[in-house]
Amino acid sequence: MTLTRRGFTAGLAAGLTAPYIIGSARAQGGGTIKIGMCAPITGPAAEAGKYATGGAKLAVEAINKAGGILGKQIELIIEDDQTTNPGIVLAFSKLAANPEIVGFLGSIRSTQVHAMAPDVLKLGKPVMFGGTDPNLTKLGNPWLFRFRPNDSYSGRVIAEYGVKNLDKKKWAVLHSTDAFGTAGGKALTEALGPLGATVALDQGYANQSQDFTPVVLAIKQSGADILGSYFTFENDLGIFARQLRQLGVNIPWVGSPSIVNVTALKLAGPALYGTYGVADYAEDSSEASKAFGKAYRDAYKVAPDNQSSWPYDAINVLAMAIKNAGSTDPQKIREAIVAIKKYPGAEGEYNFDKNGDGLHGYNIVKNEKGNIVFDKHIEFDN
Amino acid sequence: MDLVLQLLFTGIGIGAVYALVALGFVLIFRATNVVNFAQGEFSMVAAYLMVVCAVDLELPYWLSFIIALAGMAVIGVIFNLGVYYPLRHRTYLPVIIATIGASILMANGVLALYGPQPQVLPGWFDTPGIQLGPVYLDSQYLLIIVVTIALVIFNYWFFEHTMIGKKLQATSQDKEMASLLGISVSTMIMVTFIYSAVLGGLAGLLVAPILFVSIQMGSTIALKAFAATIIGGFGDVTGAIIGGLALGIIETFGAAYISVPYKDGFAFLVLVLFLVFRPQGIFGERVAEKA
Repeated sequence: MTLTRRGFTAGLAAGLTAPYIIGSARAQGGGTIKIGMCAPITGPAAEAGKYATGGAKLAVEAINKAGGILGKQIELIIEDDQTTNPGIVLAFSKLAANPEIVGFLGSIRSTQVHAMAPDVLKLGKPVMFGGTDPNLTKLGNPWLFRFRPNDSYSGRVIAEYGVKNLDKKKWAVLHSTDAFGTAGGKALTEALGPLGATVALDQGYANQSQDFTPVVLAIKQSGADILGSYFTFENDLGIFARQLRQLGVNIPWVGSPSIVNVTALKLAGPALYGTYGVADYAEDSSEASKAFGKAYRDAYKVAPDNQSSWPYDAINVLAMAIKNAGSTDPQKIREAIVAIKKYPGAEGEYNFDKNGDGLHGYNIVKNEKGNIVFDKHIEFDN
Repeated sequence: MDLVLQLLFTGIGIGAVYALVALGFVLIFRATNVVNFAQGEFSMVAAYLMVVCAVDLELPYWLSFIIALAGMAVIGVIFNLGVYYPLRHRTYLPVIIATIGASILMANGVLALYGPQPQVLPGWFDTPGIQLGPVYLDSQYLLIIVVTIALVIFNYWFFEHTMIGKKLQATSQDKEMASLLGISVSTMIMVTFIYSAVLGGLAGLLVAPILFVSIQMGSTIALKAFAATIIGGFGDVTGAIIGGLALGIIETFGAAYISVPYKDGFAFLVLVLFLVFRPQGIFGERVAEKA
């Protein structure tokens, strides 16, 4: 057989256009239910982004393996949010432009969820997120659903554990000055008053600080006998933890979830031994948490943390809501999510309220020489 | 008083880091009249090279150090040939934009090759620090301060007392004249890029055990170093060192006595004040004088 010029040209044309024809056929065929996800693939939280997409993919694979939903497979479409506010707005607008996407996963960072919230309201489709600023579910935006307990709970849990279990009443509260840190610090400070504790130091810091000596010295001078913290980035936490120990401050320390995540443990090492953390994800806290932990380890050979557990739950709950609604109509999905009660997720038991908050309590865990040990779960009714 | 001494030590330590990176800015600016916005990324790339050698391949620390710096010399050559040389006859603007492009390329290149995980690099010493009376001296910060002092002396000797140093100075002052005197201008610029990349790398290697090794570590330091360069006087080696140290001390004391959240603000407030009242910096010569 000889290859003629015409044959070659026809073959080349077919070869070049085939992917587009197949691609558009796939898009028009609608054989899948599409879920969009904004995740930090680049930027300071790129590490966390890997965990987040890992958790989401794990849930998608399990659902698809079990036959999908409404007879269709789930397709996850990921856009890079660059760990910045403009980045997530851009990523979300790219995803929102695809009319076939029925639901979205937003960010674990409150500041980014705030940035995208107006566009979410305009689009009118459900967005699952992990940011813990309590205000996010009070914006009057019916399309936001939270898959981690908000910081009004973490503040109360940190305060209650420190005052009642550790018997410490003179607090230093240290928090990032971003949306997450400010809201968390405020929630902790507000929770301490009713418990009869005092705040000796309320200290904010800017993210990506290279040095925490002034902060450590302020804590030392305040005479506080316990430290409560809200750190946004693990490298800040690592630098602070080391300097805290170097400058001889050894008071008990109860921190927000970042204090027990995998990256923080690796960076800070022994400087975090003996600290306590509130953790929305604690592997030993429930059967569902254990099952997720095993699946995640089997798939990725590393221990999971809250960065991966909330997207895992978000995909599962969204899929369940679509299944229960029997439709991909946004309003019906919204109603189905709000109706979900007592769903055992990796993060805890989901009972959605009218604001879109799914979880209402936290676990307290202790860092015992680098191992995270589950201590107790504190749940609130209100 | 104890507090003041502790803050002073930390301020000088962090300031010395800014100074090292600022030095790289100044050298390239003197030789080429452009600001190299990839200077911070030199620090980051060197730190990752060190992690690969010392942590992943478990080579001896000193050997990894030498390999990382040698690697930076090679990157300096590539940077010169790839970014500066093709644009050398254009105005400064395309070159500056090219350096910004190169910095994005380096950051994302390392991200693609090594992944997003921040890495831990052990320090040069096993002892984390020493307690001297009321002041805790972090061993890595001590090392940084010593290296900075050594570099100031070395730079003085190198630029004032060696032939190649004088040739570099001549090139930076007047390329045409230097060329007429038989100095190979392109070789001198090449040497400058190599030296700056190694300096930036050195800063990265020294600061990595404190700030951890991450993709954005370079840009965080570079921004401050850039401010230090302007405060010290763009184009002046002593100015870069003094500017860096001043910035470190100002922001540390500002954070301790005025406001922690506005720590970065103090650095840039000082920068703005200098730009308004003394744009040539502390040691900078007036443009008219240079001409």
